[in-house]
Amino acid sequence: MADGALSPGVNLEAFSQAIAAIQALRSSVTRVFDCLKDGMRNKETLEGREKGFVAAFQESLHSVSRDLGELERLSNLVGKPSENHPLHNSGLLSLDPVQDKTPLYSQLLQAYKWSNKLQYHAGLASGLLNQQSLKRSANQMGVSAKRRPKAQPTTLVLPPQYVDDVISRIDRMFPEMSIQLSRPNGTSAMLLVTLGKVLKVIVVMRSLFIDRTIVKGYSENVYTEDGKLDIWSKSNYQVFQKVTDHATTALLHYQLPQMPDVVVRSFMTWLRSYIKLFQAPCQRCGKFLQDGLPPTWRDFRTLEAFHDTCRQ
Amino acid sequence: VGTVPVAEGKSVQQTVELLARRLEALGAEKQGTFGVDCETYHTAATLGTQGQTGKLMYVMHNSEYPLSCFALFENGPCLVADANFDTLMVKLKGFFQNAKANKIESRGTRYQYCDFLVKLGTVTMGPSARGISVEVEYCPCVIANDCWNLLMEFMQSFMGSHTPGIPSVFGSKHDSTYSPGDTMVQYMELFNKIRKQQQVPVAGIR
Ligand SMILES: [Zn+2]
Repeated sequence: MADGALSPGVNLEAFSQAIAAIQALRSSVTRVFDCLKDGMRNKETLEGREKGFVAAFQESLHSVSRDLGELERLSNLVGKPSENHPLHNSGLLSLDPVQDKTPLYSQLLQAYKWSNKLQYHAGLASGLLNQQSLKRSANQMGVSAKRRPKAQPTTLVLPPQYVDDVISRIDRMFPEMSIQLSRPNGTSAMLLVTLGKVLKVIVVMRSLFIDRTIVKGYSENVYTEDGKLDIWSKSNYQVFQKVTDHATTALLHYQLPQMPDVVVRSFMTWLRSYIKLFQAPCQRCGKFLQDGLPPTWRDFRTLEAFHDTCRQ
Repeated sequence: VGTVPVAEGKSVQQTVELLARRLEALGAEKQGTFGVDCETYHTAATLGTQGQTGKLMYVMHNSEYPLSCFALFENGPCLVADANFDTLMVKLKGFFQNAKANKIESRGTRYQYCDFLVKLGTVTMGPSARGISVEVEYCPCVIANDCWNLLMEFMQSFMGSHTPGIPSVFGSKHDSTYSPGDTMVQYMELFNKIRKQQQVPVAGIR
């Protein structure tokens, strides 16, 4: 399919001769083993038998080495297949006549372009994210960075036991916050965080990464009819819908892929500041209400309360 | 629940309209109507010891809780019962006498503004309008004391200087959860105040 006219490097005649040489080699090798198998039969005297066997054996070995030599010679003539094709072996796909019916080759090229772009952008993003590392826990970072100089990036596969430990340590850290851990769908943990008598938060985890959070009122139902945590429906109250938005922003802010436990702890520390959701006036305008909502924003660093529009 | 005094030269009706206009200017939306009523029962003389005045019991209904009936004693416990408690009271005629003339109620419009619920009502006793009740509830919060400052600020925005002080039930509640009974206690206190004053004041709840 991919020889001859399209691949000048291949000598067709030498190719067919080489195939013939391979066949010759195989048959001569077969003869060697036949000869060995037959042994020293059909001769009157012992001496005659030995002589005949050795001669036959020698002759067949000679033909083997002769055929092998021929094959080696021919293989040099055959030349190498189209190694200079820019896309290497995938280039051969473009020569396949079937390609008119299947868009395989053009799809392959497209995918290659995309993966190139993706790699480029991922590189840029990782550069930016590294500059913007977790500011608030900068001191803790220094300490744990020394303890574990290079944590493996495969934090997605942490054992569930380790996740449990991290969560229960955080649970003990904040007395006014209770965390209930459950694993209704295999290994991924789901947390129900109850903060005082103010609010409840459903946290969906993937290993030690927080995937999704929903904030609801203390009096609101957080379970579906069949008794599972309801991770889809939002709060009936505007104030908790707003806090849910801010919590999602916080997830994006607290990012430190090498130390997911620090991220979870920072997020929970931030969340804890909502214990005064209804009691803290805005640090900028000094008021409690703005457009009917209390200060729903908590600064990521200072944890001070602000209205959504009064922050920064 | 609090009350707003009716300005001189204006009727209860006009004051209610003024408050409603201010609420709507804030962006509050009308959400139907509400009603709270209160009937007074005297313990029958036969039960009371000689020389002691019979205790008063108030039986109240709130349209927010159509399946419940609230029985309250002044300074006493608040009982929450099913709505058919009324039939029971009829059967207990011998022990509790209904003071029909003392029936007092507040009816009006429900407003919603963000997570706030405001009930603006006209308090009537018999045929005459006696005052105005204003109930303000901040639904997301279950601890009344936590959101008092927030409520104050909200009430000031439409009641101005007539914003009521902190209701007495808040003092005894500390950190416990707010319940419908607490609202009824405030209505009871408000109704008693209006009864005694004879004149037209206006009232406010949590
Ligand atoms: Zn503000």
